[in-house]
Amino acid sequence: MSAKQILTTLMMVLALIVVGSTTMAADMPEQVSLDTMVELFEAVEFDHDMHSELGEDCSVCHHHTTGTGTTDDRCISCHANSDELETVACINCHVSDPFSSEHLSRESQEIYQFHIDRPGLKAAYHWNCIGCHEEMDGPTGCEDCHARTPEGDEFYHKDATGSADEGGHH
Amino acid sequence: MSGISRRKFLAASVAVGAATTLGGTKKALAAGSFSGYPNSMGVLVDLTRCIGCRSCEAACNKEQKLPDPNLPFDDMSVFDQTFHHGTQKRRTDESAYTVVNRYTPEGSEPIYRKVQCNHCAEPACLSSCFVNAYTKTKEGAVIYDGSVCVGCRNCMIACPFNVPAYSYSSAFGAVVKKCIFCHETRLKDGLPPACVEICPQEALTFGKRKDLLKIGHQRIQTHPGRYIDRVYGEKELGGTHWMYLSPIPVEEVGFDPRPGNEPIISHVKEFLGVVPMVLAIWPALFTGFHLLAKNQEGHGDHEHDTEHQHDEEGGQQ
Amino acid sequence: MKSLVELGVKPVDSLINERNDKRWSLMEKLFLGLSPGQYLGQALRNPFNWILGLIFAVGLPLILYRFIFGLGAITHASNDYPWGLFLGFGLFCMVPLSASGFMLGTTVEIFGRHDFHPIERLALLNGLLGYFFAVVYLMVDLGQPWRLPYPMFWSFGPAAVLFLVAWHVATYLSVQIAEVSVAFFEWMDWLGGKRFIRRITIGLTVSGIILSTLHQGALGALFNYAPGKVHPLWYSASFQWIHFFVSAIPAGLCMVIVVSTIIKKTMAWRCDDGFLDSLDRCTLGIAKGAAMGLITYLVIKFIGVAHDNEWAYLATGWGAWFLFEMFVGVLLPLVLFAYAIRHQVASLARWGAAFTVLGIVLNRLNTALITFNWKLYQEIPHIFEFIVALTVFAIYITTYRFILYRLPILYSWKEQPQEALAPEAVKAAPASTTVSPANAVYRKID
Repeated sequence: MSAKQILTTLMMVLALIVVGSTTMAADMPEQVSLDTMVELFEAVEFDHDMHSELGEDCSVCHHHTTGTGTTDDRCISCHANSDELETVACINCHVSDPFSSEHLSRESQEIYQFHIDRPGLKAAYHWNCIGCHEEMDGPTGCEDCHARTPEGDEFYHKDATGSADEGGHH
Repeated sequence: MSGISRRKFLAASVAVGAATTLGGTKKALAAGSFSGYPNSMGVLVDLTRCIGCRSCEAACNKEQKLPDPNLPFDDMSVFDQTFHHGTQKRRTDESAYTVVNRYTPEGSEPIYRKVQCNHCAEPACLSSCFVNAYTKTKEGAVIYDGSVCVGCRNCMIACPFNVPAYSYSSAFGAVVKKCIFCHETRLKDGLPPACVEICPQEALTFGKRKDLLKIGHQRIQTHPGRYIDRVYGEKELGGTHWMYLSPIPVEEVGFDPRPGNEPIISHVKEFLGVVPMVLAIWPALFTGFHLLAKNQEGHGDHEHDTEHQHDEEGGQQ
Repeated sequence: MKSLVELGVKPVDSLINERNDKRWSLMEKLFLGLSPGQYLGQALRNPFNWILGLIFAVGLPLILYRFIFGLGAITHASNDYPWGLFLGFGLFCMVPLSASGFMLGTTVEIFGRHDFHPIERLALLNGLLGYFFAVVYLMVDLGQPWRLPYPMFWSFGPAAVLFLVAWHVATYLSVQIAEVSVAFFEWMDWLGGKRFIRRITIGLTVSGIILSTLHQGALGALFNYAPGKVHPLWYSASFQWIHFFVSAIPAGLCMVIVVSTIIKKTMAWRCDDGFLDSLDRCTLGIAKGAAMGLITYLVIKFIGVAHDNEWAYLATGWGAWFLFEMFVGVLLPLVLFAYAIRHQVASLARWGAAFTVLGIVLNRLNTALITFNWKLYQEIPHIFEFIVALTVFAIYITTYRFILYRLPILYSWKEQPQEALAPEAVKAAPASTTVSPANAVYRKID
């Protein structure tokens, strides 16, 4: 399966999650399956319930989209009183293929002044998760959250055993 | 200069410029300057985002079908490797087209910098290659054709970033090796390079170079204190297609802080301009000298007049 | 060989064997008119041959090793230091030291200074062999030497300085082969070829000047690709090519003095009186030219420092090294030349020439290797790299000597027509040579 195919499949999977969560009344999902990198890492089962109990306020993760206001200096000038959006899933704004030519050409037709630099889904997750985990002593190592698949082991050349001081270097 | 002649002059230069552009030349030739293909792609590397996971190295290795590494790509001990009496960190070579190095400025968190070809707008390697092995593609990549590489290694001398490597271990197929922006397998089909796609932190932002510049400056503006006010590669060496945002002065992460804004080819243009002049002037000049000397010979007193040597030497310099 | 000559053996220097009035055969010419036994005997008696043999015994297998296991196996050439001794010495030093061909060619043919004729052929040969072996060094160094013709016929990179070097060295090699072929044609008795070359001499010489100006300069301009890597004192943004070109002038001239000095000491039997008697005069004349070149070089080197405002670097360690190079390689020979010319002491001029040659070698090594990557770290070539470089140099010396032994470079060839028409005149030739050596030799060859 090529990377592109993987991406398309993943987009569809995530789209289903999103559709599922929004049509299930405006309630929050209990569990979100994060599986953008399933080729190399097992999907992460994100415990949304647990995290939402920890967070004081939805905007910590969801910016202004849940209608709870935002405290970020850079957002507040426009979004202090923004209403709740129709859908609040990450993938609605943070696409899983931020660098595909389709997305880039879509972006280039937008006339945003500020949102020209939105991170993709993977980065949005990682920044959000790792940033908070560092503050709150949550897990931060790659495999603390993602179990690596055999393909992942191969990808990282788990079994390579050379001496450190001759890293194929001239 | 009168108005008319100036207008004519301008028209002529525009015509020449248009001819060069329309002619589809891929090379930055000695005359004129090349500001890059308008919609070519680039990557903005944000050093504040990189966490040193080395996934980009692994992705590059797989995509480019490079030899197996000596150490796993999740082995972080490579950051402690130094070479040449501790003066050098890891660099790109024939089996690694990209490497990540760690820099630890005093009193701050470590900063990681990914090294790969920066894909200059006017590449030094390209302009130094005497078999025209290099091409700057309209997508922005600097690629090369190993099948014509003679192995002179002039491009390695010329590259201001010390990027091209050479397969020294090979006796019969020794050619230059470097990052090609995944041009063949991805970029030309509109896909980002493998390293960009794998990056968990989006430390690598792929896009049109002109958009990346906007993004870069916006990040600096909207995050006061996070970055130094410089998009390294925007102007440096004529502009590069891989550019860097750094939280600390670039020399502290191993860059030349003042490489100049001129592309490397400008440094040889002066000499290249001399060539046609020598070709045009020398024949007449020296044939003239010969005729003068012959004439003098006719008067027959040159034989013991060794003082002439002075003038002759002087004349040739 | 010296001892054989003392015993009355006369090496081939004419078309006809005086002993039997027959033409020398090619084999006889190759053996210098000696019997194979005599030839082998003299070769074995020469201790220098044993040294060469030792170098070949070690070096030739190493060259083979390089072509089996790659450059990485015998050199310290690396991704940071792509060019090692083979180019640093072989290309960047051999080429300026071979500027002699075009310098003496110009002096004699263009400026009509026929008083330098006795040494012109040596200068031309020195040029030819220097270039040829620069290419040999290049072949050892290139990743895929069999692709060397690519820039000529296959894939063109005309905007590259190296493209210029490749084309000019190739064409100049042909020009030099043509120039030196006169001696070969005499030796082979192919007078038609000789006449043809004499007819196009001026054209050849002028193209020699053009090509030399450009590729000597181009070798310097190659470093303009690395403005941040060569130390500023050895790098000049505007004058790099002219520094290389101007320094090539004394380099080539002094190389002829050095080679002729070695010849005088070791190969006097091969030289005729025309050569030996005019050598001191020619040496001093060439020294004058070299001195003019050196003083110009010194001035423009410091103009280079001033132009890029690099004075502050002179106070550093690199600055001391730069001043050392300037002192030993430029100033000292200038003083020696000045004294030698004023007091007509050829031996002092020879010392001056030796220092000049050393100075140029040091300059090129400094630019290409020693100060290259001055911001990174210092690389010292692999011991095998030294040995291979020495081996190629030994092949150069062997080839040089092989040709000097045989072709009429150091002596003038006695041709049949002159002997047949006026045997008396030929016999009287030595006498006239002593009176006006330059003239006599010149007329005889023409």
